[in-house]
Amino acid sequence: MIRAGGRWTAGILVGGSILAAAGFAWPLFAAAVPKDAQAAVPIVAFALVPALVVALALTLDREMYTAKTVALLGVLSAVGAAVRIAGTGVGGVEAVFVLLVLAGRAYGARFGFLLGLLTIAVSSMLWGGFGPWTPFQMFACGWVGAGAGLLPQVGRTGTRAGPGSRLGARLEIALLAGYGIAASYLFGLVMNLWFWPFAVGGGTGISYAADAPLGENVASFTLYTLVTSTLTWDTVRAVTTFAGIVLVGPAALSALRRARLPGARPRSTSPRGGGTRTHPSTAPGAAAAPRTGPRPSARA
Amino acid sequence: MFRFRPAPLRAAAFLAVGFVLLRAGYRVLFAGASGPGLLLLDLPRVPLAGPFSQVALLGPVTAGGLANAALSALPVAALILVFGVLNAVVDVSRLFARGAGRGPLRTVSRALVIAWATFPALLDSVRRVRVAGRLRGGERSIPALLVPVFEQTIERALALAASMEVRGFAAAHVVDGACERPAVMTDAALGFGDPREDGPDAGHGDGRRDWHLAALNLEFEPGTLTVIAGATGSGKTSLLHSLSGLFQHFFEGRQAGRITVGGADRAGTPPRDTAGFVGVVSQNVRLSFVAENVRDEVGFALAVRGVAAVIVDQRAREIAGRLGIEHLLDRQVHALSAGEASLVAIGAALASRPILLLVDEPLADLDAAARVRVCGLLERLAHESGVCVVVAEHNTREWAGAADAWLELRGNRAHRLRAGDAPGSAHPADGPAGLATAPPTPVAPGTTGTTGTTGTPLASIRRLSMRRGADLVVHEVSLEIAAGEIIALEGPNGAGKSSLLGALALPAARGTVFVSGRDVAALRPGERRAAVALVPEHADDLLFSTTVAEECRRADRAVRRSEAAGAAQPAADRFAGLLGLDLASAGHLLRRHPRDLSAGERLCLVIAIQLAAAPSLLLVDEPTRGLDLEARALVGAALLRAGRTASAVVFATHDRDFARALATRTISMQAGRAANGPLVGAP
Repeated sequence: MIRAGGRWTAGILVGGSILAAAGFAWPLFAAAVPKDAQAAVPIVAFALVPALVVALALTLDREMYTAKTVALLGVLSAVGAAVRIAGTGVGGVEAVFVLLVLAGRAYGARFGFLLGLLTIAVSSMLWGGFGPWTPFQMFACGWVGAGAGLLPQVGRTGTRAGPGSRLGARLEIALLAGYGIAASYLFGLVMNLWFWPFAVGGGTGISYAADAPLGENVASFTLYTLVTSTLTWDTVRAVTTFAGIVLVGPAALSALRRARLPGARPRSTSPRGGGTRTHPSTAPGAAAAPRTGPRPSARA
Repeated sequence: MFRFRPAPLRAAAFLAVGFVLLRAGYRVLFAGASGPGLLLLDLPRVPLAGPFSQVALLGPVTAGGLANAALSALPVAALILVFGVLNAVVDVSRLFARGAGRGPLRTVSRALVIAWATFPALLDSVRRVRVAGRLRGGERSIPALLVPVFEQTIERALALAASMEVRGFAAAHVVDGACERPAVMTDAALGFGDPREDGPDAGHGDGRRDWHLAALNLEFEPGTLTVIAGATGSGKTSLLHSLSGLFQHFFEGRQAGRITVGGADRAGTPPRDTAGFVGVVSQNVRLSFVAENVRDEVGFALAVRGVAAVIVDQRAREIAGRLGIEHLLDRQVHALSAGEASLVAIGAALASRPILLLVDEPLADLDAAARVRVCGLLERLAHESGVCVVVAEHNTREWAGAADAWLELRGNRAHRLRAGDAPGSAHPADGPAGLATAPPTPVAPGTTGTTGTTGTPLASIRRLSMRRGADLVVHEVSLEIAAGEIIALEGPNGAGKSSLLGALALPAARGTVFVSGRDVAALRPGERRAAVALVPEHADDLLFSTTVAEECRRADRAVRRSEAAGAAQPAADRFAGLLGLDLASAGHLLRRHPRDLSAGERLCLVIAIQLAAAPSLLLVDEPTRGLDLEARALVGAALLRAGRTASAVVFATHDRDFARALATRTISMQAGRAANGPLVGAP
């Protein structure tokens, strides 16, 4: 979906993401700020991240304004929200990453980013979980989807493991499953980072100390994140994501690629030998009928 | 905007308490719970080494220390509670609904509205696929649930997108149409695929390099109704959508020659820009609904153009009045019946006062009464309002009185017929359901089946009832089915045919359904499948593999797992057999994705899968839905062949001719009650 002005959009997206990353990591930067201003750092971070969510959504809004993109975004974010809410009852089994990774891979980084944003928005609306944490969740999920879109193409075209081959399709699933594990842990890490000072408060060995050296804060944070989620929730999430991508990945990717979003990655990596259907269906959900009698055409 | 929901408040209270406890927990674990007051636990302090040398674990725990921890957590806990109250009181989804279609966040807000409207469909989909899993003999793997739901979701997204596109969503360069020439095709040809591309299936002949339809020289005039007829796959939908522009701009078809609509060049003008004068009613109207209620649905085309809300509302009421659906305006779109949904979809297409109205198979899902109503409405639109109406349809008979012109698609060409030689009269195949290729007689009673003995019935149904919500949809039905019977179940929409079949396959109460003398409700899933198997109306719900062969292997494995006395024949063999092929010549079908099969082939695949456990009784819901003559003949023959594996077959259908040609007996249903013999007074 690169158009005129695409480079500007890319610049805004990258810049916005870097600023947002700084918002997430405020506990590590606060020491660099003059003493008098340190109290303001968390407040600035809390205002910055929501503003960036809106800014990036506005940037993407124009270029995503086509019927197919909007319909897919809407429908898939409903699926994501449903999966997310169904998962909360099962102890943090966050299967939503499976969807974000597969959709980001099939439709590209920008779609993946917006889908992450929307999935959080819809699920928060559904169970009423809006709060100061929502923009942070949006960004983190958006990055998960975008990251999958930025992964390299597997294999070289024309080789045995190239896109479209059976081996290529397996390699792609392996790549995505590996990414899913990494994304699960990183997601937990960044979500812990911004909330850590609030969660622990003062007075413990792992408390955030604004005036302590960076190394000490990093050590405290490492202990905090290990105890809080890395060993528990994040591991469960990584396992779920890995298993989900391996189990439903091939079928789901081929379903997504069938939709052929303009600007998406070429379908050549379809595990089904390229026989992708584009025939407008006639009977309910009917598929391509065998093409009848090839004839020489008038103008071919 | 404002309403009260207790759930978010409860969740917030839970979170807030959890937060306070968690903070106390961190203090205990990381040496922060000491202080004044009573000493509760005297734990040893454990200093860490290396990079964590500033941290110590445990240490004494005092009441004062714990109280301090809890107090320090209160501000954040209070904040969580405040947001809980806000979430409980403010309805955020209404905020987004207001912004939809306008403003700088219109993509996001419209996507949110679609997401919101998708939930009922998603729940339905999950419910249906769950039932399908039970029908497949307790198939409970994760892909069996997720893949069909996901496929349906993507299908819905595409249908929605097409429907938004033809109603002017995201239009940038709106074109005005000339009323006197609604649609003209000059030397046009239509095809799929890139002619220069050497596709992997280039080996199967050069089909993809050629035109699917060629030498099209057609003119559609104002005030006429044209019916495009032809078999499935002959290109009816392609031709129709080459006029709507979806073919060229959405389905990635190729066009040669010139096609103009209202004077605008179709190849160069996407559907969204001609939405002001081209109306489209898609085939599966339910999938095309973009709004939550009928009022917004009918007004959608105007709303996306930025017309003032008052005028949109006025226009929606005016159209509803004209179609006689005012009482539906505030109804949720997912609560409409099939006939009502068709009328609403036509209403939505009329919102922009089209000069060209394109309708794709409007009668496929409708019962006799609704068919008459829809035909009459389209006829009046053409002849009284002067709209150029073009209908693609394989149910040609209903249009005999209404159509001014017929186009028949045969052999890559469109043949223009005058009203006198309508395909209905020209083709004898339209007689007894086109079953020319089917074996002429059903198998004789008593010659098949392993369990039924002559004299005692194969299956007996005793006062079977079923409720859906408050309604009794099946009312004390009692039936006896003998081995060798092929029974047609007839009745109007909503008579309870599908519910009866569902209740037969998965009875809720014991003592109602007996097959070969065994109570079906008391059987384990594997045994139940060997007694009775159902091919549901949405047969696709049972499919979740990426190739036909894999799907068949799964079916065989499931039978072996259940240790039921399954069929000796593998499902792949049977699939080929149902299509009248041998395994070798069906090889290319086995390698395909199940959803790339034609509708008739796919139904045969599901029948083959359901026959894998060699059921005594096979139930098939609406086997002819949406099929053309050729595919109907295919499925009819398959049912007769299936009758040789199963001891008896029961199928529900709207299609009288199909029923007559196949069935040894007819049972009719009305308002949940069943009676022997065909319905009296039905057309």
